[in-house]
Amino acid sequence: MTALRRASRLAQYGFLAGVFLFIATPMLVIVVFSFDANRFPTIPWGGFSLDWHIAVLQDQMVLDAFLHSLMVAGSTAAIATVLGFAAAYIDYRYLFRGKTLFILAVAIPPAVPASIMGMAMLAFLSRLGLFGSLTAIVVCHVAISTSFAMAIIRLKLNDFSRDLEPAAWNLGASPLATLLTVVLPFCRPALIAAFFLSAAVSFDEFLIAWFVGGTMETLPVRILNLLQGQVNPKINAIGTIVLLISVTLVLIAQHFTGLRAGGKRKA
Amino acid sequence: MTLVERMRSGLGRRGARTAASPAVLPAMLGVPVGLWQAVFFAAPLGFLVVVTFWTVKSFRLEPDFSLANWERILLSGPFQRALLYTFEISLLSAVLTLLVALPAAYTIAFRLPRWLRDLAVTLLIVPVFSSYMLRIYAWQIVLSPGGIINSVLRFLLDLELNLLGGQISLQVGLLTLTLPVAILILVMAFSGIDRTLIEAAENLGCRRVRVIWHVMLPSIRRAIALAGSTAFLLAFGDYISPLFMTGSKPPTLSILIVDTVKSGSQWPRASVVGVSMLVILALVFLAVAWAGRAGKGGK
Repeated sequence: MTALRRASRLAQYGFLAGVFLFIATPMLVIVVFSFDANRFPTIPWGGFSLDWHIAVLQDQMVLDAFLHSLMVAGSTAAIATVLGFAAAYIDYRYLFRGKTLFILAVAIPPAVPASIMGMAMLAFLSRLGLFGSLTAIVVCHVAISTSFAMAIIRLKLNDFSRDLEPAAWNLGASPLATLLTVVLPFCRPALIAAFFLSAAVSFDEFLIAWFVGGTMETLPVRILNLLQGQVNPKINAIGTIVLLISVTLVLIAQHFTGLRAGGKRKA
Repeated sequence: MTLVERMRSGLGRRGARTAASPAVLPAMLGVPVGLWQAVFFAAPLGFLVVVTFWTVKSFRLEPDFSLANWERILLSGPFQRALLYTFEISLLSAVLTLLVALPAAYTIAFRLPRWLRDLAVTLLIVPVFSSYMLRIYAWQIVLSPGGIINSVLRFLLDLELNLLGGQISLQVGLLTLTLPVAILILVMAFSGIDRTLIEAAENLGCRRVRVIWHVMLPSIRRAIALAGSTAFLLAFGDYISPLFMTGSKPPTLSILIVDTVKSGSQWPRASVVGVSMLVILALVFLAVAWAGRAGKGGK
């Protein structure tokens, strides 16, 4: 019986290790082979080399795309955090007709496949004359990532006592003053998390950026275009840099949400 | 105690409505975000539906009310084949995802010490938001004819496998997309199960397998439905895995859309494909939600 139980435990751990190996393998492959001297990434390893990383730093198109990505992700994150906070607070505080529709309009966009969303946004934005600019990419990315910002901040507001605001109002604070001096400081970790997660979503998005950006390439779009060409040993080096940035953004966001396996961490 | 609390929260809520009664603040907060989503999310989707009725004359879109695009696409062989194929691979992917994610999530939720559980969750959140496209490219390196797996196989067994381009590689790619999200949903659900239910079942002499089957799985039924339909949705809309793992052969609906848009003038037809996809996804979600509710009623 105990031997059977031990075998079952071992099988479970082994299975889980396999799953994580499956999830981690692609990332490890990118990083390891970005330092490989061979042109085509395969085994055996061709020896350590920084050539491809250096080549990336000298590729003007990649550098431009990188700059575009930083600008798009930064602007997207700032706007999405503000809008996401507004939506989360409205959901927390007010009741009104059409509220469900309002919340759905903020929450649903990430669930729509990016191929469809990109096509729709391109068709519509080109009518508005907004097509082919970084602004076009930002407005679309905000429409997608506000959903994540709202979710994170709304979760935080669950822990905000319903009595605190009325207390401030009774003491003579205006609703706006209360919002700025009581609610916002309470939400600060969630705001930081929302900012970095929105930045990660934008930094990683390629289909919508490809559709509405026209000739303005962000980094993932540059990679997509490189991938559709010939085998290019630079891709792993770019990938390593992109992975490093994405992972950092997500880790910062996750740190500030305090989200753990058992739900939220108890104080 | 509870009465007092209820009264207090009731008062607080009424206070909220009167104290903020000039609707300035809610409008100030709500209008920008509402407008933004209306203009840059709802309007494009609405316009997409409108465009399906428009016609293309000498490479220009012209407003019209014509059902020709719908007829043309819905009755065309390539569309029907792509629809069936996309549906099949997404369904298969959803099933595979659940088969792998359920035991993995169970182990994370019940068999890991707290710090390892937190680490596992972090390791799952990271890939959801980072570089799916690059990870598919990495699988290409691993699976390709001159790639890592084949080099090892050739060295050890003098064997070569054609891994890239078939259903296996496609599902590997789709699982890369769906697994982390599905496992996360299920870990949260498993962790949220009322532990007293499990203890009660065990005290009554249930073996672990029966506890899992009769107590745990029924109580996370809705999370399983959510994880499965999310996996289906992600696979159904995915563009990258079919493109790089099977070289767009056969094409999926997303590939049809991108190719049609790339080739230039056939916007209305691409829109028909897009709107059809959205209708199908909505139907799948409604069906799964309905099945979940029916299951609850039957219990």
